Amino acid sequence: MSYTLRGRLESRLAAAALTLVVALALAAAERAWWPVELAALMTAVGLLLDAELYHRLLPYQPGWLALPIGLLELTFVLVLARALGIAAPLTPALALFGAGWLVAQILGHAALPRLRLSYAEDGGELGRAGPGLAAAVLVVFAFSGGVAWGQRPPTVHLSSGVHQGPLVIDRPERLVGDTGAVVRGGIVIRSDDVTVRNVAVLGGENGVAVTSADGVLLDGVTITGARLDGIHVRDSSVTIRDCAVDSLGNRWAQGIDISFSMARSPSKVEGCTVVGGREGIVVHTTHAMLLRNRVSRTASYAISLTEMSMGGIASNDVHGARGVAIYCGDNSECEIDDNVVTGTEPGGGRNGYAILVHYNSRATVRGNRLVSSPGGIKALANGQIETRQ
Amino acid sequence: MTNRVAVVGGGLGGLVAYATLRHVGVEDVTVFGTDSDPAAVWRERAASIRQRFMRSESDGHVAPASFPGLAVRAALRSGSPAPLLRSIADRYNPPVEDFLAHVAEVRERTRWDDALVRARVNRVAAVDGGFDVDGRGVFRHVLIAPGHPGLARLEELAADPRAVHAYEPHEYADDVEVVGAGMAAATEWLNALDAGATVTSVRRREPERRPLNLPRTLFSRRGLAGFHRAARAERIGLLRRYSAPSYPAGRRWDEPLERAAAEGRFRVAAELNGAAQVICATGFRRGFRHDPLLARLVDQHSLKTAEDWIVLAPDSTVPALTDEARTLSLAGVPAQWAFPAADTLAGMKYAAHRFAAKVVACPTR
Repeated sequence: MSYTLRGRLESRLAAAALTLVVALALAAAERAWWPVELAALMTAVGLLLDAELYHRLLPYQPGWLALPIGLLELTFVLVLARALGIAAPLTPALALFGAGWLVAQILGHAALPRLRLSYAEDGGELGRAGPGLAAAVLVVFAFSGGVAWGQRPPTVHLSSGVHQGPLVIDRPERLVGDTGAVVRGGIVIRSDDVTVRNVAVLGGENGVAVTSADGVLLDGVTITGARLDGIHVRDSSVTIRDCAVDSLGNRWAQGIDISFSMARSPSKVEGCTVVGGREGIVVHTTHAMLLRNRVSRTASYAISLTEMSMGGIASNDVHGARGVAIYCGDNSECEIDDNVVTGTEPGGGRNGYAILVHYNSRATVRGNRLVSSPGGIKALANGQIETRQ
Repeated sequence: MTNRVAVVGGGLGGLVAYATLRHVGVEDVTVFGTDSDPAAVWRERAASIRQRFMRSESDGHVAPASFPGLAVRAALRSGSPAPLLRSIADRYNPPVEDFLAHVAEVRERTRWDDALVRARVNRVAAVDGGFDVDGRGVFRHVLIAPGHPGLARLEELAADPRAVHAYEPHEYADDVEVVGAGMAAATEWLNALDAGATVTSVRRREPERRPLNLPRTLFSRRGLAGFHRAARAERIGLLRRYSAPSYPAGRRWDEPLERAAAEGRFRVAAELNGAAQVICATGFRRGFRHDPLLARLVDQHSLKTAEDWIVLAPDSTVPALTDEARTLSLAGVPAQWAFPAADTLAGMKYAAHRFAAKVVACPTR
C-alpha cells in the first residue's frame, strides 16, 4: 500500500485507539499505569517513525514489511520503556505490544478497507473521521496522562547533611537525596510505589527494610554499618539498582536479603557493589534476577538463591568469597550465566566452590569464567547441573 | 421520473460500479450493456492470448471492498496459507479461472442480470434534472464505462492476410512476428514459443519491467496528488509516458526467452521481415474520439479536453456536468485524466467508489 503521511498517521491512531481500550482495561485490572504508559509509548514511537522514517523511505509498503517494522518498533519501545522507567512486566508488555501490532494489521488489511471503500486509494486516510479519531485518541492519552500525573507519588527532597532515623515511609513517595544526604539509623518502607534515590544510610538494624510492598525502587542507595542486613526485603517486589552495601567487619551481616516474596512480582538487583558480611546477596523463596553485581570478601556465600527460589544470576563479578561464591540450593531453579568468579577460598565447611548446586536444586550453567576457585562447579545432595554452550 | 442511477457499459467497469452502488445501499440502478456476461469481452481477449494468470494482484477483483481479496478467498477455499503468503510479498497473481469465477459470483450475488437492460447506448446528453440516456429515461447520476474503443491495428497490415490482432482468436504459424512490447506481446512470445514457433519480437523501444502497468504509488493518493497538481501539458506528458509498454520482471518471463534465444528461436527486430504470421500485440485505440458516445458527449456539451483525453475532476467526474444534484462520471480507460491506471480493475474501483459517494451524498438521490 502507498500511504500518504496523513494516511499513515490516521491509520496508526485508529489502531492505537483499540490498543488504548485494551490498555485502559488492563490498567484497571492491574491497578497500575504501565499499560497506558506503554500504549502511549507505542503510539508515540509509531507516529515518530511514520513521520520521520517510513514516509520518507517507503513510498510503497508491501505487506511483508509489517513484520520487520513491528520488530523495529518493539526494539525502540523496549529500550525507551527501560530508559523512561516504565515499570511494565515483560510478558504482559510483550503481549500488549503484540496485540497492538495484530490490531493494526487487521485494521489496515481487513477492517478499514471494508469500512471505507476508498481506504487504499486514499493512502490510508480516513476522511472526515480521521481528525476526529486522532483528536479522540490524543484526548484520552492526555486525560490518562493527566490522571497519572496527578496520582504520582509526591517527591520529598532530603537535603544535604545527616538526618536522624529510622525514617519510616508508609505512603507512595519518592525520596530523593541531595548530594551528601545521609540517614542515620535506617529507612523502613511499608508502602507500595516508593522510590528512594541517592540516599546514604548509616547504621540501623537494617539499612533499608522493605515489608509487604510492591513497586519499590532503591536507586543509588549507599549503606554502611547496618547491624543485620544492608537491605532487608520481606514479602515485597523491589528493584535495587546501583547500590553499595558495606558490611566489612560484621561477620554475621547480609548485604542484601530478599525473602518470602514468591507471591509478588519478580525482584531485581542490578549493578550493586556488596562487600563483607556473611552473605552478599541472598534470596529465599523469591523470584529474582541478580545482574551485573560485584560481590567480594563474604564469609560464607557471596550470591545465594535458595529455598525454592527461581531466577537468574548473570554477569556478576564475585571475588574473594570464603566457602561458596554462587549457591543454588534447597529445591531452587537457577540460570547461572556469564559470571566471573575469582579467588574463592575454602571455609565454613565448604571447599571453595565457585558454583554449588545443592539439595534437589537444578541449574543451567553457561559462559561462566572461574579463576582460582578450587571447588569449581559442583552438584551435591541431588543437585543437578545442565551445562550449556 | 429522474431519481435514478444509470451505469452505461456492461463490462467489468460496469459491474464494479454496479456492485459498489449495491454495496452502499443504492438499489435503483439500471445498467445498459450489450452482453449479459460482464466478463464476455475480457474473457475472449484473455483466451486469445492464452492468459492463465492475472497481472493484477490479490486486490484486482470486482468486489466493492478490497478485503477479502482473491488471495484470501483462495486460501479459504484451498485451506492453504500459500496464497496469503504470496500476496503479502506481492507475488500472488490469481489464476484467470479464479477471477472469472469471482466475476460470476459477484454477478449472481448482486443480481446483475435483473438490473441489466440489453442495449447499446449511443448518446448521453445533459437535460434538466439529469441525463437523457438514449431516450431510455432521464437519470440523475450516470457513470459511463464504455471500455476500450476498439483494437489498435497497423495500417500497413490492414489488408495483409498474415496479420492477426493478439486479442482475436488465433493459432500460431511456424514463423511468427509479434509487434509490440507490452504484457500481451510478452505473453504471445511465450505462447508462440510453446507452440514450437520461431519468434521475432518487432519493437521500436525496449519495454519497461514492472509488476503492474504503472508504478504502485500511482494507485493511491500518495502518487496521484502530484499527478493531479500537474498542469495540462505536464499531465499529457505523464500520461503518454505511462502508456509505455511494460511487463513484469521475473524468471517466469526471462528464462524461456533466454533459452529460445540460445536455440535461435527468439530474436528482436525493429522492422517486419516477412514472417508467415504477424501478431499485432498493439493494444487498443487511444483517445475519446474513437468512441462515438464520448465524442458526441464532448461535442454536444463543449466539454474541455486535452488531446486524447476528456478533462475530468480528480474524482473522475465531468466537471461541467456535475453539481450537487447530478453526477456524470467516467470509468475505465476514458477516466485516465483522473486516474492514470483507469483501465485496470483498481482504476474501475477508483471511479466507482467516488461515483457511489456522490450518489449517496446527493440529497435528492
